[in-house]
Amino acid sequence: MAHAQAEETRVDWESALVQRARGGDQRAFERLYREHAGRVYGLCLRMTRDAQLAEDCTQDTFINAWRALGKFETRSSLSTWLHRIAVNVTLAKRRKSGPVEPLPEEEEGSAAEWALETPVEVQELESAIGALPEGARDALVLHALYGYSHGEAAEMLGIAEGTCKAQLHRARRLLRERLHIEVN
Amino acid sequence: MSGPTGTNGRKLASLRELPQAIEPAHDLWPGIESRLAALPPEASAAQGAKPAYRRALRLRWLAAAAMVACVAVGVWIGRSLLPGGPVGGAPPIAASRPAAIGLGPTAFDAAYVSDPRYERQRRALVRALQERLAALPPPARAKVSASLAAVEKAKKDLEQALGQDPGNALLQELLINTYQDEMRVLTDVHEASDSGREI
Repeated sequence: MAHAQAEETRVDWESALVQRARGGDQRAFERLYREHAGRVYGLCLRMTRDAQLAEDCTQDTFINAWRALGKFETRSSLSTWLHRIAVNVTLAKRRKSGPVEPLPEEEEGSAAEWALETPVEVQELESAIGALPEGARDALVLHALYGYSHGEAAEMLGIAEGTCKAQLHRARRLLRERLHIEVN
Repeated sequence: MSGPTGTNGRKLASLRELPQAIEPAHDLWPGIESRLAALPPEASAAQGAKPAYRRALRLRWLAAAAMVACVAVGVWIGRSLLPGGPVGGAPPIAASRPAAIGLGPTAFDAAYVSDPRYERQRRALVRALQERLAALPPPARAKVSASLAAVEKAKKDLEQALGQDPGNALLQELLINTYQDEMRVLTDVHEASDSGREI
């Protein structure tokens, strides 16, 4: 109950900041940046595995967000909206820098909890995720780490939902091999 | 890859426990701020500050585009479809408009589009138009169809906008104008065919 109220207050405060930023108030936009930069940078870093590129992507995400604030529907989540922009920016930068890996065949995915059979250190887990191929890593980061549904992650990445599930299946198999434990 | 601060050494039982936020090594805001300052004014977030005004402006352009398309078709019918131009019974475009069209955009005007007689007349004209369109050469058919499609799009957008803002006088006026434009195209094509000349 208290958590729900706190969330509601945060959203009200956030939409007030969005309104002010839409009016050209850069200080309000900076507050929004401070609130969301960590999650946006975390997503970019996990997708790019390159701190400098992730910084560029984070900056571009907020520049694009500033330009498009007029189109943002205040009823939807600012965090999700920023993540969509961040994914677009990151994919575009990656396309420029190299060929896109082929997509795997669609196959049935399962509703994984992403539980680890044996606890693993954060750094080791981050390294194992970072070593995944791009497509599998993108799907895993959006679905398992940031909590987007298969459909949402697929839409953000511009791929079919079945392909997203297949990438998750592949990510789970590779993590299992690299960590030598079951990932359920 | 640098990990989330203060999490090294901690063990996790699920991927979902990984922290979503990772703080960049340095503050990125100064770079963002300087890039925002370098943006042209039209790229500013403030441009989105008045969506209703921008929508009305877009709809005004849409209605204007529909009107231009209608006039173009009217002129084209007069000059190209009728041999020798609009002679004899073929009236100029303005004269071919229904009597009600000459009135200003008042509340009375707004009522005529829902009048059953208007709807009957419109349906008859649309039916006649469909017959004429089928017999037209492809370029002529494309022009008339494109004009009517522009009018139809303008009508739909304006009706949708009025659904959200029913009291908006500008939108009401634009909608009436668009209905009038549609009638003008229909009557122009109808009169051209009634003159007994080949289209």
